[in-house]
Amino acid sequence: MKNNGNMSVLLKGILKENPVLVLVLGTCPTLATTTNLVGAFGMGIAALAVLLCSNVLISLLRRVIPDSVRIPCYIVIIAGFVTVVEMIVKAFFPALYEMLGVYLALITVNCIILGRAEMFAGKNSVGKSALDGIGMGLGFTLALCAMAFVREVFGNATFAGIAIPFLEPYKIAFLVKAPGGMLVYGLLIALVFAVTHGKAPLKTEFSCAGCPSAGSCHTGACHGKGGEQ
Amino acid sequence: MKKSIKSVVVLVCICAVTALLLAVTNSITSPIIAENDNAAANAALLEVMPNGKDFEKLDLEGQTLPATVTEAYREAGGGYVFRLLTAGYGSDFAIMCGVNADGTVSGALCLSSTETLGYEKTFGENFVGKNAEDVDSVDTVSGATKTTAAYRAAVKDALNAAVILGGGSVDIRTEEEILADNLAAALPAGEGSFEKLFLTEVHDGVDAVYKALNGKGYVCVVGEAFIGTDTEGKPTAALPEGVTADVTALIGRIQSSSLEAMDLAEFEGVHKNVTSASQTASGNYVLEVNGAGYGIAGGNEYHPASGKYIVIRVSMTADGKIIDCLTVSQAESQGFGDACATEDFYGQFVGKTEADYKEIDAISGATLTTDGYTKAIERAFAAVKIFEGGAK
Repeated sequence: MKNNGNMSVLLKGILKENPVLVLVLGTCPTLATTTNLVGAFGMGIAALAVLLCSNVLISLLRRVIPDSVRIPCYIVIIAGFVTVVEMIVKAFFPALYEMLGVYLALITVNCIILGRAEMFAGKNSVGKSALDGIGMGLGFTLALCAMAFVREVFGNATFAGIAIPFLEPYKIAFLVKAPGGMLVYGLLIALVFAVTHGKAPLKTEFSCAGCPSAGSCHTGACHGKGGEQ
Repeated sequence: MKKSIKSVVVLVCICAVTALLLAVTNSITSPIIAENDNAAANAALLEVMPNGKDFEKLDLEGQTLPATVTEAYREAGGGYVFRLLTAGYGSDFAIMCGVNADGTVSGALCLSSTETLGYEKTFGENFVGKNAEDVDSVDTVSGATKTTAAYRAAVKDALNAAVILGGGSVDIRTEEEILADNLAAALPAGEGSFEKLFLTEVHDGVDAVYKALNGKGYVCVVGEAFIGTDTEGKPTAALPEGVTADVTALIGRIQSSSLEAMDLAEFEGVHKNVTSASQTASGNYVLEVNGAGYGIAGGNEYHPASGKYIVIRVSMTADGKIIDCLTVSQAESQGFGDACATEDFYGQFVGKTEADYKEIDAISGATLTTDGYTKAIERAFAAVKIFEGGAK
């Protein structure tokens, strides 16, 4: 994996290790903000910005931050960036701020960001971490947009707020509700699984070997691979 | 030990840098956020004053404005926007009303209400361009008189408030306050507490008599003039020009008047809804009659146990001319029938005889109430006829 080219670090987040559809991280904002395309795109870009910034900074500081306090440090850095993004969105995109509501602040505890900080940025170079942040951010954005597309077009008969008259009589209002979101989510995961033949998450840093506790794990499930990292 | 110190130092440093970053971002974005919030708050103001800009909220502390005004904003062009709270048919409702610098209404909008008919939602459009003189030309909506009249009164209040804030003065007293002020001016000895007397004596030329509650005299209302008198009815000041009524004689009659209750059982044919009758020494009658209005199913029915009558007190001369009339109590529906308890309505009967008592303005939307009322008056006339016949 360390031999992977920069390109593959960037691209793996989009499909092969898509954070939402393969790693199944960040499901809360995925379900909550995908009722319309504009909100989903805004959420994705906000998360991408935080992910990129926190990945770069955490990667830069990976030798400074002592292992014992790394989680509080990551959280402070991530929360700081989220607050900055929140203030900027509130100031310059008030309509988007209204739309995303509390989920914008909740990026702080978005598993994708802490997950990438823990799994990737804390162990890799600045450049790679930046690419990983962009890749994962794009993957998140694309997954959100794909879900929002399905839910908004077929559930509300609009596209990014523009009405689609011929779909109006056939709209499936259920899709806009939370259970409908779950359904679309499940179907998208199945689709990605079919496309990647279910091999995507195997033998990556997301497997047991990527676990931060792999080194001290005595269950044997890691087969001693933890030490290799 | 060294390791733990390093952990603390690193964490503190990261926190400090993060805090600094947040402070910098906040200093850039907070003015913009404040402006955005302001623009959102001003959206409602702009809706009633589309050309307004730079609204500034005014401190109303110490200002004497109409009671309905709850908030006021001054606009850069000299106009004002007022938030008014008024009471309609069944609920309070808030109105936003803009007044241009030239004293015309720039727009009026109902912010929220739970009125049943919903006329207040669009009624504001009728006021655009109106000023204090022609605001009365906006007609109330029949069937929603309370709502629309309250709306119009609130718009008037806004126009008056704009004049006051602009440094002018307007009479914002309510009718009750004007009456109280006039009474107090006519008889300062009355110390501002008066009660209107129910007249049982002929009072030609005098519209109403108020008695000072402290017993220091009376005030007689003759047209526009308020004439204060002492306890014996002597005017406390020279009579205004053109007033010829003999107030002293009237007060004398009122004071010497005594009521003697009559036994209705002695008279045959008096309607059961006439509940009591008295006669004065001068031969006038005072009757209490139950009117069967909307509250009584079936209109003219006699319901001994019902509390839903309109209880009417009427005094008339022996030859059947109404001296005074009053609604003692009523249980008619709010907003329509309860108008029968206003002096505007029952005052119409004063001076009427059996020939013309039906020539009154009915209460809009309350035909049954009006009919029940006139029917009660009719029974009073009939009863007096019987009394007079019995006396002979």
